[in-house]
Amino acid sequence: LNAAPGRAPRQQVRFLPAPAAGGGGAVELVAARVPVLADHPLVRGPRFRRLKIGAGHRLDVKASGVFVLGIGRGNKLLTDLYNCHLTKVYTVGGLFGKATDDFSDTGKLVEKTTFDHITREKLERILAVIQGTNQKALLMYSNIDMKTQEAYELAVKGLIRPMGKSPPIITAVRCLQFALPEFQLEIHCLHETQQYLRKMVHEIGLELKSSAVCTQVRRIRDGVFTLDDALPRTQWDLQSIREAIQNCQLKVEAELEKTL
Amino acid sequence: RRGLSVAAGPPNTRQLREAEEAAPVFQYAGKAARRKDRVFVWGFTYSGALGVPSFVRPDAGWKKPRRIQPTPYRLETEEKISSAACGYGFTLLASNTRDITKVWGMGLNKDSQLGFQRSRRDQTKGYEYVLEPSPIPLPLEKPQETRVLQVSCGRAHSLVLTDSEGVFTMGNNSYGQCGRKVVEDEIYSGSHLIHQLKDFDSRVVQVVCGQDHSLFRTKKGTVYACGWGADGQTGLGHYNITSVPTKLRGDIAGVNIIQVSSCGDCCLAVSDEGDVFGWGNSEYLQLASVTETTQVNVPRHLPFKIGKVKEAACGGTGNAVLTEEGNVFVWGYGILGKGPNLIETAVPEMIPPSLFGWSDFSPDIRVAHVRCGLSQFAALTNRGELFVWGKNLRGCLGTGRKEDQYFPWRVTVPGEVVDVACGVDHMVSTVKSF
Repeated sequence: LNAAPGRAPRQQVRFLPAPAAGGGGAVELVAARVPVLADHPLVRGPRFRRLKIGAGHRLDVKASGVFVLGIGRGNKLLTDLYNCHLTKVYTVGGLFGKATDDFSDTGKLVEKTTFDHITREKLERILAVIQGTNQKALLMYSNIDMKTQEAYELAVKGLIRPMGKSPPIITAVRCLQFALPEFQLEIHCLHETQQYLRKMVHEIGLELKSSAVCTQVRRIRDGVFTLDDALPRTQWDLQSIREAIQNCQLKVEAELEKTL
Repeated sequence: RRGLSVAAGPPNTRQLREAEEAAPVFQYAGKAARRKDRVFVWGFTYSGALGVPSFVRPDAGWKKPRRIQPTPYRLETEEKISSAACGYGFTLLASNTRDITKVWGMGLNKDSQLGFQRSRRDQTKGYEYVLEPSPIPLPLEKPQETRVLQVSCGRAHSLVLTDSEGVFTMGNNSYGQCGRKVVEDEIYSGSHLIHQLKDFDSRVVQVVCGQDHSLFRTKKGTVYACGWGADGQTGLGHYNITSVPTKLRGDIAGVNIIQVSSCGDCCLAVSDEGDVFGWGNSEYLQLASVTETTQVNVPRHLPFKIGKVKEAACGGTGNAVLTEEGNVFVWGYGILGKGPNLIETAVPEMIPPSLFGWSDFSPDIRVAHVRCGLSQFAALTNRGELFVWGKNLRGCLGTGRKEDQYFPWRVTVPGEVVDVACGVDHMVSTVKSF
């Protein structure tokens, strides 16, 4: 950023002595534009010494995926986006047969169980129940009076969402892959932490009368930002960041207007 | 200094891996683990209709009796229950077994709607309130071969359908609803009389009880009715009581009816081609699409343009039908399920499928069955979820809240709901565990 050409230095009008138009040794005062010395880059120093960077929703050390950052004035947009309470989408990978103390595969082993009685059908049934109970929680924490007509209309459109603090709520779950002992789920959720998702994998294992640990948590969408907008490590340079900011600007503005 | 003991350091990776492989493997469910069948009940308890005596008479002195069970409560039964029915303050549970005890009843028994339950204190009298599921002795000719297919309960009478011995009726008969001649000043309390009905044109496949009348549907698709007819609910062309099951004519003569439903004083029937027929009370605009009168005593075809109808459910003041596509249409009066603004309509209105969990994420959710209580509705989806809406009379919706529910709301049941029966102030559901 500092290498980019900076602002042109301010100009001032000074009357400088210059030799006269005619001959002789007389000196005239001629008006000329001269750059102000105080604006010289060697005097001023680098333009940017610090950048204010804020982070969006937290991402664990063991998890990976989309991580939203705001620079400078974008931090205010970050708080607005947080108040929009948009859903995030994760792909969670799990493994049947083990139970550990921190619910992931790097933890201390607690128990090993059999898992050959588990079928995709049973897993989908459990996922349907999880969705059902979370749907109820969604309606309850949204603090809308259920007796009003507008509550009914919002419920029909599916727009009821808790707009304040709430415990983690899962709006949708789907099984993407199932190959014993591994499986992969796609989870849409609100106000969650990655550890909560790992705990959920563990509880799914318990419901299926076996045990499960979480091998992978990857965020693929955070509100309006998807994997396509995200910059991989090789593209962490000024040009790509600029392009990315420009591409997302419109989307962010549209979403903020819609909600607030 | 001996120095024999060495302090244990942190286990390295090889030790951890070895410990993991040596750990014992537990088996909680084998390959042959079967899903169990369970019964869940909820609603008003003091009538005994929920079958849990500790709600009414707590077994410890310091415990308080529970008047309302607001969420589903598991009921332990001896056999697998295949059919359940809720009446006005009593419940019948039936099992498809060949054992001698096939039907259990609990709740109000003031008109012997649960048969004769011999009191232990006085051997000559019967119990007026049955707090636990108690077997109902049916006078079967071949008790170890006949199977009970279905049960149904009305206000003060009940019907039991068997596969080879016809229909058994018991309870109040002051309007002929049990299918036998009305005896003046008959005392129904503590009565041993269970009447058997075998006189139909073919085998009876469905029995339905309205408030004070009974409907029988036979294999050939004909409908018989008996009981009170002052609102025309017997559909026989008059407003008198009928004490012998008589065949219905009108618009359903010659039509193959595949389902009948009734809860209060209105009746609905569905034909195999997807047409809906109605008769009975129309004070709440249930039949206002064909007539302005408030009582219809002959079955009339209801010309609805909503597609082929698969199932109909008739409630006290509102009705619901389920079409082949899996959409639910409601009409009538009361809380119909489309918000507090829709109080009455004569033309069926569809409930948006998104309220039953349909979304772009799960587009193959369909409603599989609809059931009606007196002022409640229940819908079962193909995923085994139960949605209820309507008036929350004494906690009968099972949502855990006290308020009425104006749009479909999920009931949390730990299992896949197979069927649900709705009564006035309680509900019973048969559930398969995960």
